[in-house]
Amino acid sequence: MLVQLFRFLLRRLAVSLPLVVAVVFVTFMLVRIGGGDPVALLAGPTASSEEHAAIRAGLGLDKSPIEQFGIYVVRAARGDLGQSWLSTKQVIDEIRNRAFVSLELLLWGVAIGAMVGIPAGARAAARRGSLYDQVVRAVSLAGFSIPTYWLGLIAILTFFYALDLAPAPMGRLNPTLITPDRITGSYLIDAVLRGQWEVARSALSHLVLPVLTVAVVACAPIMKHTRAIASEIVDSEFIRFARASGLGERCIRRMVLRNSMVPVLTFMGIEIVGLLGTSSLIELIFSWGGIGQWGLQSILNGDFAAIQGYVLFAALLSVVVFIVIDAANYVLEPRGRERM
Amino acid sequence: MLVRAAPWINVLRDFPSIAIGLAIVLGYAALALLAPWIAPMDPIRVHADAVLAPPSARFLLGTDGNGMDLFSRIIYGSRYAFGIAVPAVLLSIVIGLPVGLWAGYRGGWVDEILLRSMDLLRVFPSIILALTIVAATGQSIINVILVIGLLDAPIFARMVRAEILALRGGILIESARAIGNGTGRMLFVHVLPNSISGALTQISVRMAWAIRVSATLAFVGIGIQQPTPEWGAMIRQGAEYMVTGEWWVALFPGLALVTLVFGLNLLADGIQDWMGRRRTQR
Repeated sequence: MLVQLFRFLLRRLAVSLPLVVAVVFVTFMLVRIGGGDPVALLAGPTASSEEHAAIRAGLGLDKSPIEQFGIYVVRAARGDLGQSWLSTKQVIDEIRNRAFVSLELLLWGVAIGAMVGIPAGARAAARRGSLYDQVVRAVSLAGFSIPTYWLGLIAILTFFYALDLAPAPMGRLNPTLITPDRITGSYLIDAVLRGQWEVARSALSHLVLPVLTVAVVACAPIMKHTRAIASEIVDSEFIRFARASGLGERCIRRMVLRNSMVPVLTFMGIEIVGLLGTSSLIELIFSWGGIGQWGLQSILNGDFAAIQGYVLFAALLSVVVFIVIDAANYVLEPRGRERM
Repeated sequence: MLVRAAPWINVLRDFPSIAIGLAIVLGYAALALLAPWIAPMDPIRVHADAVLAPPSARFLLGTDGNGMDLFSRIIYGSRYAFGIAVPAVLLSIVIGLPVGLWAGYRGGWVDEILLRSMDLLRVFPSIILALTIVAATGQSIINVILVIGLLDAPIFARMVRAEILALRGGILIESARAIGNGTGRMLFVHVLPNSISGALTQISVRMAWAIRVSATLAFVGIGIQQPTPEWGAMIRQGAEYMVTGEWWVALFPGLALVTLVFGLNLLADGIQDWMGRRRTQR
């Protein structure tokens, strides 16, 4: 069983990696062909054309884009993603420092969104047409329609400016506190592990608003799809048969829930990948300092190596998410094993 | 083809979500068309005496950081919402339908490329792709339209493809071929009308998506910039005032955006219900 699972996952990985390469290749080429000229920006207005040429050669931009891509791939395979031109920091270090910061926001948000969305959607499916169902539908439709960043701004306005309940949307910790020594990279977890309760409290209070914003955005589609998936199963032949043969409500509910798990999980994967983009916007609003904010800033600055790092990180993370979901489905659903 | 059984007035009565959604969308469309007559002021005129003025009788929704009238700017903003979303969705249909028809009918390499590009869009957050591409290829409205249209094309293609796969091998295609139709005529005259209903329901959803993405791009600062009266760009400007209490600058453009996107989603939801009902009746 374990060996089979492993082989199955390897096969999935072999299918996904070309997609990662494709994403990286497409953005790499577009940025280089269409992008502005960073050399002029870095050299400044007084630089001579020799200085321009020297900088261009130093960045490796004098070669053709295809050659540059080849060099990039070879270096990336060794863990060298180049350096940001503006901060001159190594991209790989930036990613390493910021990855967990972003994941903390994303995973808490998705977890809360799912904990609300899945039961609410399943319950709506069980009572289709009821008032409860109507409310769930309306709420999920509204959640679909609200732009993430705007919701975040409204949250800041309400809870920081008007009610003064939340801290200022500037980062992850009260600036008067000293950051806890790094264990995981999450201030909250690190502070708890080190027993620094005041720091933990500050980290938690900074987490609440951005996490809830992500959760609201994550919840709406999860609710909607869970409702659709569970409805289909409630209407299916085998549930009608189970009901006709006199099985109790509790038993039927369990059958519906179990059979909904696989499609709901699959949808969650798509959802998390989509949220990689939206949570970047939340990071921007709350000055969160994770990969998302850094990536968006790099895109705005035209910082080639950093953009590439951001795209690569997002692509790899999506692959990891899909593989984890596939593995979960493999364990949960014996039926699908051959066709996967 | 669709309204044969029920006159439109009955549809509106039976499906209130279609009626409400349609009313919202048409209302905004009217705003966009009639903006110069409805807006009380020039959307990019600076009122230097009233920078960041709160809502009042003179400025119904207040003014922004440049002293421009928000009410007028929001009305003009609907022009940018439709002006980007309509051509973008049209573009994705113009590309997606033929590709989907061909891929579904013939299979082969077209099908393979379509499926791979679908995979690509599935494994990668499309908003990041859109941001990167627009930032890299020059930040103009035309580029925003092109990128949104291209990213959406595979969705239409896949839908048509799925409907055709359901038709293929059926009596329709066999008999159409038997009476001597060529491939082109067969696809566009016989197959397309029978596989288009799924694509039609998606137009509303994709419009909503296009409007959201273009506003997001402008919010990040890519594509459309101040002082263009575009909702996302307006929210971007208002973001910094949220912590200082000038809430109207970002609140009102956001509300305008949410309402229109909600209307489109509601409409799509209603159409889906209606189609579902028709299918069970048949």
